[in-house]
Amino acid sequence: MNSPIVAQSLAGGHEPAERAPTDWKTQSMQRRIRRRYAAERRFRLLGLAAVTISAGFLAFLLWTMLSNGLAGFSRTEVRLPLNFAAMNLDVTPDQLGRRGADLALAGAGLQNAVGAAAVEAFGAEGERYISDSAWVTVREAVKDDPSLLTKQATITVPASSDIHTAATEDATPETEAAAAMLTQRGALTSGFNWTFLTGADSTDPTAVGIWGALKGSFLTMLVTLALAFPIGVLSAIYLEEYAPRNRWTDLIEVSINNLAAVPSIIFGLLGLAVFLGTFNMPRSAPIVGGVTLALMIMPVIVIAGRNAVKAVPPSIRDAALGVGASRIQVVFHHVLPLALPGILTGTIIGMARALGETAPLLMIGMRAFISTAPDDLTSPATVLPVQIFLWSDQVSRGFVEKTSAAIIVLLMFLLAMNALAIYLRNRFETRW
Amino acid sequence: MTATALLLLIVGLALIGWLTARARATRLQGVGGKRLHSLPGQHGWYVAMWVAVPALVFLAFWSWLSPQLVNDAVLATPQAQSLPAAGFERSAILGEARNLAGTEGLGAFNPEAEVLAPVFDGYMTSYAWIGTAIAVLLAFAGGAFAYTRIATDFRARTRVERAVMLALLVASLIAILTTLGIFLSLLFESARFFSIVPITDFLSGTNWAPQVINPADPGADLGAVPLFWGTFFIGAVIAMLVAIPFGLMSAIYLTQYAAPAVRKWMKPILEILAGVPTVVYGYFAALTVGPAIRDLAVSLGFTFASSESALSAGLVMGVMIIPFVSSMADDSIAAVPTSMRDGSLAMGATTSETIGRVLLPAALPGVVAGVLLAVSRAIGETMIVVMAASGAATITLNPFDSATTVTKQIVDLLTGEAEFNSPKTLAAFALGLTLFVITFLLNIVALRVVKKYREAYE
Repeated sequence: MNSPIVAQSLAGGHEPAERAPTDWKTQSMQRRIRRRYAAERRFRLLGLAAVTISAGFLAFLLWTMLSNGLAGFSRTEVRLPLNFAAMNLDVTPDQLGRRGADLALAGAGLQNAVGAAAVEAFGAEGERYISDSAWVTVREAVKDDPSLLTKQATITVPASSDIHTAATEDATPETEAAAAMLTQRGALTSGFNWTFLTGADSTDPTAVGIWGALKGSFLTMLVTLALAFPIGVLSAIYLEEYAPRNRWTDLIEVSINNLAAVPSIIFGLLGLAVFLGTFNMPRSAPIVGGVTLALMIMPVIVIAGRNAVKAVPPSIRDAALGVGASRIQVVFHHVLPLALPGILTGTIIGMARALGETAPLLMIGMRAFISTAPDDLTSPATVLPVQIFLWSDQVSRGFVEKTSAAIIVLLMFLLAMNALAIYLRNRFETRW
Repeated sequence: MTATALLLLIVGLALIGWLTARARATRLQGVGGKRLHSLPGQHGWYVAMWVAVPALVFLAFWSWLSPQLVNDAVLATPQAQSLPAAGFERSAILGEARNLAGTEGLGAFNPEAEVLAPVFDGYMTSYAWIGTAIAVLLAFAGGAFAYTRIATDFRARTRVERAVMLALLVASLIAILTTLGIFLSLLFESARFFSIVPITDFLSGTNWAPQVINPADPGADLGAVPLFWGTFFIGAVIAMLVAIPFGLMSAIYLTQYAAPAVRKWMKPILEILAGVPTVVYGYFAALTVGPAIRDLAVSLGFTFASSESALSAGLVMGVMIIPFVSSMADDSIAAVPTSMRDGSLAMGATTSETIGRVLLPAALPGVVAGVLLAVSRAIGETMIVVMAASGAATITLNPFDSATTVTKQIVDLLTGEAEFNSPKTLAAFALGLTLFVITFLLNIVALRVVKKYREAYE
């Protein structure tokens, strides 16, 4: 390995013993030194440039997402005057308290009536100023206060994507003019986009939200943690504390190291062929996603767990054995509690990796359009990274800011998890 | 009863078993002047184990068996006699009826399914109850058996510890099972693929057009060489042209030049680059980098420049890999004995000369291993290429041209509506197998190099 270096130093040892001392003052020597120092400075600058550019790229990435995404958290709203009394909606107030209220209002033509109201208020193009889902806002308002049906009211509804774009940045002259007209009439306001936090996927960018994806992510992570943590910890303990040195344990070790480096999409293929194909588990469900991701991050936990267990000094084990504890008691009463912070750090890092993973989940069908939040582990769901992927395919300008906003949320979760891991490591790091 | 409720019930029963057994063992303590062999808690664990384990094993088995039983029972009913004979339509109707069962008020696509749904519902409910009853019975039987064995000289501890050891062993075998599962499932599906498409066509054909597979000669449209080339070009050439210089120079700067405070901050910041989800990089590449590179290519005179160029995918992937290369290089530079560095500096060499002539040659095996691992990671990377690379399979040396990769094609092949047995779907598994084998070999070589090299200095 290091033989060339050794050879050089040996060769240096055989130089003739007497040599005239180097005259450092000669011009050629001075020039040589200057050249060497210049090379040194250049090299150092190159290194600094590499670090700066790499960090600069990260900054650029984050800045792009922030500047695109912050608009996704706010929304432009239109104050829409509605004359419910003149709409002649065929709904009685007692229908509104019951479960069929949504259906009754939709059947009574509320959607068309809201569109007509927009035309009446803002001119022939009026319907295009409000979001396609504006009538849902009106519906909820009516359900909250059925007495609205008999009078006139002004309800704040989400503006369409075009108007939102015109209000927040540059857009086509026509929409700019429309936005200016609305602003002049005092009909345009902006507010925090609660829908983005509480809604699920939709085809209308003004109505989309990440709650469905967040809940799907949460359920998936729950399954992942419930499987990967115990399996990872138990196999780390076995390999570090009990395993005899033989071919079987070598095989286990090789598989774990290899699994840690297998591309994630291969785990997706495994999930597709085995969990969906052979075991007939439900497609798109958090349980399948969770199991697949658990297999993927299990090696991470095992490797972190082994290092943590290895770091517990033998004297602890000897002392426990010395007072009569069995080998299982030594591990579960003494070694494991001491190694737990290290194991937890590894687990959080593994979970962060699972939270950001997309490719294996695409393979098991978690890319379907799902407009409701999942109820349990077997209902169709999507997760946050997949939601980002799905929105990134949408051409509408409104989805660009929604995608970036979802990325901001995902990155915040990941940063929080990593910060927690670092905190745990610093807080509980023990030097024996 | 839902699966969650049943699980909670069994856990609850096990808890009751634990408490009663421990109480009984505590009462036995000192009776007849004899000491208890095991601690009361250990007797508790013994009983809890006997309550939970048989029931859970049965449930796992039952959840696999019962759908089949329900199917058979439904098929035996008179309502099912009008179904079409075995085939795709039949299974579609059965699947729909199964989905309809248990939900209310939804209309069915197939009228037959609408008829079968209540039948399914009935059988599913009754089989679920049968399963629940057997599981609870097993829990009680196991608990009762274990409870009767509690005695002063009963070796509960030995039994419990043996079971724990078994659990430890099983947990560590899961890694082998997963590896085996991956390998066998890929191999099995690929074998089916290669029985349709000759393996030589797949490995040496240069035409990749899975959208229009000619049924007479599927091999002619499924030549994977352009994919291998694209994967190599994006992952091993362009990405490494970014990752190696930046990663290596960052590692050198941070280990040799930077002040400790700078190093303390910059290292985690660079590591964030590796923690950013790849879907974010993919989006960034598609949204910002791709169009920028297309504009650059157009201004350079490439008329057919695409925003889904090999360069944009490779560039962004290279940035993602930087921290990977830099931390591997960091480790291997740190592993070079300080005496070698000090010796070189004492001879009058500048730091850069020391790095170039002493540290890097000594750390080279580690750096090479790091690069190999990085390559393996780059060619297995999916989301960036899915979002930023093109779907068109071309063999090109022009980085502004479009190129596609193995992983992108796997995603494209498996997210369509193809049925499970077409050469199109199976091709994805053949590609997966190739990817698995290549990354496996790269990892093995890299790990060997690292191991050998680490030992050399210890």
